[in-house]
Amino acid sequence: MSDTHTASRREDLRLITGRGRYASDWNLPGQLHAAFLRSDRAHAEIVSVNAAPALERPGVVAVFTGADAIAAGYTRFPLMANFTNRKGASLLKPERPVLAHGKVRFVGEAVALVVAESALAAHDALDAIEIEYRELSASVHVDDALASSASQLHVDVPGNLSLEWEAGDDAAVAKAFEQAAHVTRIKIGTTRVVASPMEPRSYVVSYDAAAASYDVYTSAQGISLLREQIATLTGVPAEKLRLHLRDVGGSFGQRSGVYPEHAALMIATKKLGRPVKWVSTRSEGFLSDAHGRAIQMSGELALDHDGRFLAARYEFTCDMGAYLTPGGPSGHLRNVAKCMTGVYRTPALYGAWKVVFTNAAPISAYRGAGRPDIAYVVERLVDKAASELKIDRAELRRRNFIPLDAFPYKSPTGGVYELSDFAGCLDKALPAADWAGFERRREAARKAGKLRGIGLAVVIEGTGAGQYPQDQVALEFDAQGKLSIYTTTLSGGQGHETTFAAVVAQTLGVAPEAVTLRESVLGKEIIGNNTGGSRALVATGSVCKLAAQKLIERARPLAAEALELEPSQLEYGEGAFRSRDCEKVIGLLDLAQKHISKNPHPLNLIAEGAFGSTFPNGCHIAEVEIDPDTGVTEIVSYVAVDDCGNVINHSIVEGQVHGGVTQGAGQVFGEHAVYDRDSGQLLTGSFSDYYMPRAGLIREIHLSEHPVPSKLNVLGAKGVGESGCTASLPTLANATMDALRPLGIQDLDMPFTPSKVWHAIQAAKVK
Amino acid sequence: MFEISYLKAKSLSDAAALIGAHPEAKLLAGGMTLIPTLKQRLARPSHLVDIGGLPELSGIELKAGRLAIGAAAKHYEVAASAVVKKAIPALAYLASRIGDPQVRNRGTLGGSVANNDPAADYPSAVLALNATIVTTKREIAAEDFLQGMFATALEEGEIIVRVLFNVPKRAAYEKFPHPASGYAMAGVFVAETAAGVRVAVTGAAPGVFRWNDAETVLTKNMKPAALDGLAVDPNDMNEDIHATRAYRANLVKVMAKRAVQKLLATK
Repeated sequence: MSDTHTASRREDLRLITGRGRYASDWNLPGQLHAAFLRSDRAHAEIVSVNAAPALERPGVVAVFTGADAIAAGYTRFPLMANFTNRKGASLLKPERPVLAHGKVRFVGEAVALVVAESALAAHDALDAIEIEYRELSASVHVDDALASSASQLHVDVPGNLSLEWEAGDDAAVAKAFEQAAHVTRIKIGTTRVVASPMEPRSYVVSYDAAAASYDVYTSAQGISLLREQIATLTGVPAEKLRLHLRDVGGSFGQRSGVYPEHAALMIATKKLGRPVKWVSTRSEGFLSDAHGRAIQMSGELALDHDGRFLAARYEFTCDMGAYLTPGGPSGHLRNVAKCMTGVYRTPALYGAWKVVFTNAAPISAYRGAGRPDIAYVVERLVDKAASELKIDRAELRRRNFIPLDAFPYKSPTGGVYELSDFAGCLDKALPAADWAGFERRREAARKAGKLRGIGLAVVIEGTGAGQYPQDQVALEFDAQGKLSIYTTTLSGGQGHETTFAAVVAQTLGVAPEAVTLRESVLGKEIIGNNTGGSRALVATGSVCKLAAQKLIERARPLAAEALELEPSQLEYGEGAFRSRDCEKVIGLLDLAQKHISKNPHPLNLIAEGAFGSTFPNGCHIAEVEIDPDTGVTEIVSYVAVDDCGNVINHSIVEGQVHGGVTQGAGQVFGEHAVYDRDSGQLLTGSFSDYYMPRAGLIREIHLSEHPVPSKLNVLGAKGVGESGCTASLPTLANATMDALRPLGIQDLDMPFTPSKVWHAIQAAKVK
Repeated sequence: MFEISYLKAKSLSDAAALIGAHPEAKLLAGGMTLIPTLKQRLARPSHLVDIGGLPELSGIELKAGRLAIGAAAKHYEVAASAVVKKAIPALAYLASRIGDPQVRNRGTLGGSVANNDPAADYPSAVLALNATIVTTKREIAAEDFLQGMFATALEEGEIIVRVLFNVPKRAAYEKFPHPASGYAMAGVFVAETAAGVRVAVTGAAPGVFRWNDAETVLTKNMKPAALDGLAVDPNDMNEDIHATRAYRANLVKVMAKRAVQKLLATK
């Protein structure tokens, strides 16, 4: 193990001393400022728009409305993946003018864009725009949207149903259920959440009329995908879009796609001939950033007399909000289907999806994007089955794990799992959590007036396969002979500057400080995927290794020339080429230095590789204590055993697991975007009402690694960005249910707020 | 935020003059409620008159059995004050639980009391300790001053100078913070005074209130169990997406019992 394994993050000093440069730090000469008028209705026809009074306000330069969006033709958002059902129907993807036209479909939808000499002037003018609405009934809940009486959001989407989709074998499942000795059923869901990254969205866009090109200064998860999506939405060729990306203050999937505001600013800057800047307020972010999760789920598990799983059947009703985001359906359909069997050898599986439009903010990927949702329902269902059958929860899982000799394992719904050691993870986690000694702790807690519970989950997830067939990485020496790595990823806090540099430095045998990562840099002719789906290290990191290996081979003839030897006579190690007798030596970096006057530098290269989905997995165990007087659930211990394959930097992996687990804990215990069911107004429009997890929520996480190196990429990595979240949703919910189950409480769902838990306890007392 | 003119008062009389000259002006002390309100464009004062740093509003001292705290005292100063900790430790504790470190280092006693947010912590202490609000014009008793949700006896241009807290025999504060905002979802201040026990409840209802039944039983028997048979009426409580009326009513009782427990543990 080298010291890079636990090295502190190279980017941290810059970021925590305020030297990070974020999207709103961009300011262009002559820039104008934008403010968006947002719908205050959940569902209404726009009868008329009168922008003239706003134009009278001081400092206002122009106002743009839905008519401008229609005139520009900016109405068709890209979709990262389409889905077709067995009857041949595809996702119905209604148009979404980048400024609402004809209708508004959720509170916060952009209706008009005011451009002024200052941000203050733009905001001040918003209330001068006169809009006449004719209100329609709003459906913010999928049950309401699917009701026969529901108002239809889109003319071309009957019943507000974008698609009914299925996976697996319905008939085989039905047959297995007939033979079942026991069937366990559950109806739960994941709450709608707001990603709430620290950095709000911020865009500056300028237009070069001579070149007919746009400069877009924004935040993103990577340069290639966003550029392509803006191109698809606007019809502007990708090569005419110059994206400027720097530090990013949190992404969580929410920044993966193009937003209406990108394109609306393009309309404005082209018309006005000056750059236009917009910085979202936090309030706007709550309303208009893509939300996450929001799947209603029902699950049924058929078991035989020995507690072996025979079949499972699920229904997923996906609240997509008012429109499809580019990445939304992939998470809710593909990612859920891929791991629908969980970690179990369940011979028959069937899932049925309803993809539903509601009068709420559109849903996109959010840390895990469907992976935590399916893990949540599968692992809660297994826990409930164990309780009903009075089988130890760990034992029931062990009985049904996909055994080591069954890998690669093809799940009945299509996922092909690589080698995973679920029993190994469980065996490490149980003693770490003192599972066997729990009943003593439960009793001690009972005497102290508390309800104590322990819960576990064993989960697996398929990481992102990527939108582009391969990832490219460039290695370049600059005029000073410094080595830079160029990728198309973009860190939103994942520490790529440390990890990717470590991969290249280790492969080359040079100091990590000799290598600098530059992500998503404009003008680098490389293509590849963005950061997302826990794949950046797995894929781009792997290509970093390939690039470093390629660099050594590229340098070999130059080294031979310098040392006056044949290339075959050279050995490479510890950053240098040597003759076999070690008499002659030249360092790689010294060699590069010798050639800095050449342009391009002869050692500059592009490497590429295609790396698909990997399967991080693990076992988490949590222990909670509930105060029955207040309903407050306290997390008293948390054990995480994760297989994320080979680890490059343990500190960064720990940080990712901490963040993922805590983000999941936030959702389990409180995060919830709530719309008023009648008016469609967002009731949780600020942090006064929207619960966010705080640092004290989980005080300590006992982490251990159980690496089974991936054979699907050259690093042997499996990815770790989302697994903490995927595991913590079911783990913490199962622990909470275990505390409540002795009272006879079988069905309670997230968020386990104090009020909800207290009411459940009161209701159980009455029974 | 709308465009607003900022004025820094040089003295209390200067502040009064500025407020008098600009009828649409607002006083600014710590700004912990006002600034977020302005940022969300929910208020549109013409001017902000900053009184936060005025020496006339500072100082903490114990005089004749009363603790006098200047209106501009920040929550952190109250929480950390040796004088407060000795005279009324429950008050120092209350201040230590307001908001977060940033809020405690900006927000002021006077600002909190003048705003009388139904979920703020200080009004419970003001009411339970039968405090006197000293303004630029007069002295006002707590019960006359606090007039329900965001309402006080303050007149136009009247500025709180200091608050005089009666030092109780013993007192304790227990609070259940709102999961999102951190404000009191139920905060109960129990004070044992020469004139009997006073119990003030904040956060749970549309305004701070005295729980008279609890005062009666606790005056006879200062024990958590004395509250067992009592309940506040859920119909008088607030309800929102985070907590039902019934839950808030329960919290009032649980926090009251815990406050009594804590009070008994103090010397």
